[in-house]
Amino acid sequence: MATDNANADGFGEVSRVRGILFEYLSLGASVAGLVALGVLLVYVAIDAFDLASASPGWLLTYFLTLVIPFLAFCLYSADDSAVTRRVLVVLAGGLVAVAVIFTAIEAFVVTIPRLSWQLTYLFVVVAPATAYLAYVGSHGRVGAVGFGLLGRLVGGTAIGLAVGTLFLVFDELVWFLAYTLGVLPAAALYAYGRRRDAGRAVTAAIPVGLVGLVAAVFLRGVVRTYPSDLIIYLWTLAVPIAAVGALVVDARGSRTAAVAAGGVPLALAIAGGFLAGNVGLPGPTTLIVIALTGVPTAIYVHRVVDVGDGTVGLGLPLLLAAGVIVGALVVEAWGVPAPDPWLDVSYVTEAPSRNATEAGLYPAIVGSVIIIALVAVLSFVLGVGTSVFLEEYMPETGVLGSLTRLLQINIANLAAIPSVVYGLLGLGLFANLLGFGYGTAVTASLTLSLLILPITIISAQEAIRSVPDDLRRGSDAMGATRWQTTKNVVLPEALPGILTGTILALGRAIGETAPLIMIGAATTVFSAPSSLFSRFSAMPMQIYAWAGFPQAEFRYGVVAAGVITLLIILIGMNGTAILLRNRAERGS
Amino acid sequence: MTDSTESPDLQRRSGLRRLKEGTYGGFFAACAAITLLTTVAIFATLLSDAVVFFAEVPIIEFLTSTNWSPNPAGGGQSFGIVPLLIGTIVVTVTAAFIALPTGTLTAIYLSEYASPNARSILKPLLEILAGIPTVVYGYFALVYITPVLKATLFPEMSTFNALSASIMVGIMTIPMVSSISEDAMSAVPDELRQAGYGLGATKFEVSTGIVVPASISGIASSYILAVSRAIGETMIVVVAMGAQARMPAVGETLFGIPYFNPADVLLDSGMTITVAMVQIAGGDLTGGTIPYDSMFALGLALFVVTLVMNVFSDIIAERYREEY
Repeated sequence: MATDNANADGFGEVSRVRGILFEYLSLGASVAGLVALGVLLVYVAIDAFDLASASPGWLLTYFLTLVIPFLAFCLYSADDSAVTRRVLVVLAGGLVAVAVIFTAIEAFVVTIPRLSWQLTYLFVVVAPATAYLAYVGSHGRVGAVGFGLLGRLVGGTAIGLAVGTLFLVFDELVWFLAYTLGVLPAAALYAYGRRRDAGRAVTAAIPVGLVGLVAAVFLRGVVRTYPSDLIIYLWTLAVPIAAVGALVVDARGSRTAAVAAGGVPLALAIAGGFLAGNVGLPGPTTLIVIALTGVPTAIYVHRVVDVGDGTVGLGLPLLLAAGVIVGALVVEAWGVPAPDPWLDVSYVTEAPSRNATEAGLYPAIVGSVIIIALVAVLSFVLGVGTSVFLEEYMPETGVLGSLTRLLQINIANLAAIPSVVYGLLGLGLFANLLGFGYGTAVTASLTLSLLILPITIISAQEAIRSVPDDLRRGSDAMGATRWQTTKNVVLPEALPGILTGTILALGRAIGETAPLIMIGAATTVFSAPSSLFSRFSAMPMQIYAWAGFPQAEFRYGVVAAGVITLLIILIGMNGTAILLRNRAERGS
Repeated sequence: MTDSTESPDLQRRSGLRRLKEGTYGGFFAACAAITLLTTVAIFATLLSDAVVFFAEVPIIEFLTSTNWSPNPAGGGQSFGIVPLLIGTIVVTVTAAFIALPTGTLTAIYLSEYASPNARSILKPLLEILAGIPTVVYGYFALVYITPVLKATLFPEMSTFNALSASIMVGIMTIPMVSSISEDAMSAVPDELRQAGYGLGATKFEVSTGIVVPASISGIASSYILAVSRAIGETMIVVVAMGAQARMPAVGETLFGIPYFNPADVLLDSGMTITVAMVQIAGGDLTGGTIPYDSMFALGLALFVVTLVMNVFSDIIAERYREEY
């Protein structure tokens, strides 16, 4: 009877406390990993930028000159009194709360190493508030314009630097010949054919281009005299970019605006390229960077001015630059003690060293950029090819259908093989059997391409699958062949999705270390690789090598700076991928 | 005749067009073939060198010897996988203690409790956990986690230890568990939940009593995938766990059952299968030596284990999936 009674008592009894506890427990579990990662990232940032030794005066100076104007800009863009009030309350309340709680913990519980309440306030309150405001502000027209301009400046600089880096390895003279004999005539033929509606010219473009490329490789050994690097870069990169910019503006607006949009950045780039040598910068790279930032910026500014809405936002880069300069002046004038960051310009432009203060990441960055460029091309081509084959060419039923399923299962399993095993594949197949050499950039790129291929394929398949079938049937009904449907309908629709997936996969490749160790990549090289078959190091390899150093300056300084560099590049890549995805979603 | 030239000529250059179609189709097929070839190549590479290795070192010795010292300079060479297996199991189990409960609770929160807004923020954030390079996690474990644990909980901890490495492996695998489990939980039809509420169940009871059992196959398969990921994890353990292949001291209980002291294993350095491979690769890669071949034997073991686990996880997800 006792058990019966117990059952009767339990029936219908609802524990509110248990439900609430469970909800908060699961919420806590969801954020536990993130909080842990957040704390670790805060510490690594503090170490990399030496913020622990930053004086409160220094923090306050830049808070006033840089952060406050940026917040004000976002608030102006958001133009929402509720948001303004909320942010102000959080910033002010957070200041008091963090100061009180932090001091209490320090006084009664335990001293927290390398953190002051000012830093804690910056990371716990100001950083999230800034991120939130940037998000809200970017929905306003002014903010969208400001961030769009900022993105073009940063993105153009990054791409320009990457292109300059690639020419460390690739022969720019071959590129000069290939461009002059192959790319330029083919592009001209194609453009002419499109404009005059002459199908023959369009069809001829590809063979002409191929002949030009072959001729370029052949002539490289024959031709003796070449123009200087600067002229080559100007002729093959800056001029075409400016021309494209001018054409884009021309299609939208007046002839004069077009000439200005192409001409002004070009003139700036030429001037920058020739003057860069005087201040110790490499001229050709400066030329490309200015061309690649200037032309998109000019197009964007023209469009914004043309639309005439939110033009104030164009001032955002100026606002930030002014903030940095004023901050630096104040720090200089009043002698505010400033921190000495590990991650500075010399860190990313100099070679590694036994001496912690002189150590740099430059050769490893170059190695990573080169590998990733090759991996991007290889995995994109192979990934798109495979996913098109599986989605467009193979049936889902019948004998071939089971072959499709086999391929599909195989790809899923490849995705789950540990990366260190791919390293063994690279070692046994590419380095030893095919003789590409231990630790060369070619071996590394091939290995990493195979490693991320399954991820690329799976995301590309999803993108292709999300193209509505009506579009395909429509194309079929027009008499298009399978390839024409794929080329004209499926791929353009799926391209943003494919690119997003590929960039995310590349983010995985750039951080992979284990396969590189297995193929014998160098942990430390002291000069940037000069060819695809020279030994190279990559950012994660260098971080791995330095993490093994026992000295505290390396453990807490140099490696932290390397980690932050790697993470900044990763965030940049993933941010691009997310932007692409959002744009595609908005478009469709 | 003029009529026929003015109407569109559908047969024009059909041979060229067919060639073009065939070329592109063939190119795509070749791309797809590369994925199959990759699997074959991995298997062939591993097997060819592993066979050479097992000709030198009998497979029984490889599987049962308790000593791993591949370096010929250090005296007797010995290739026993047992200490490496212990290291791998220790890391995997500890990581699983962190990742599986946390991941499952996260999945429950995301699919049952979170507002759509919170979900849209939390899900991409959780993916970040899986996107951080593993060498960075290893660095975190070595430079931040170990000193903190040493200063607070375990003063006798050594600089390189299994515990901090396992914690980081656990955090890294949380999103694997949570995203696959959440997919399975979201696939549970709302009718089941409504039926539960109709019977007077609370949200807690619906979540734990209806949703979790209904999606148990997906949850189980996510567990297996996460564990297989932890087994193959390399850089975290290489950086944070050190490279000492050792057998933990075996104690005996009252009833004569041997046991390991977990603190002894967790707080000291150790070696996993992956670390052993990296250690050999970091030294000499000339090929043809026994240590070189032993890497491939270890790789084969790793490959087989992860492959079996993946197939197993697929089977569980397929076979025991509740169809609604």
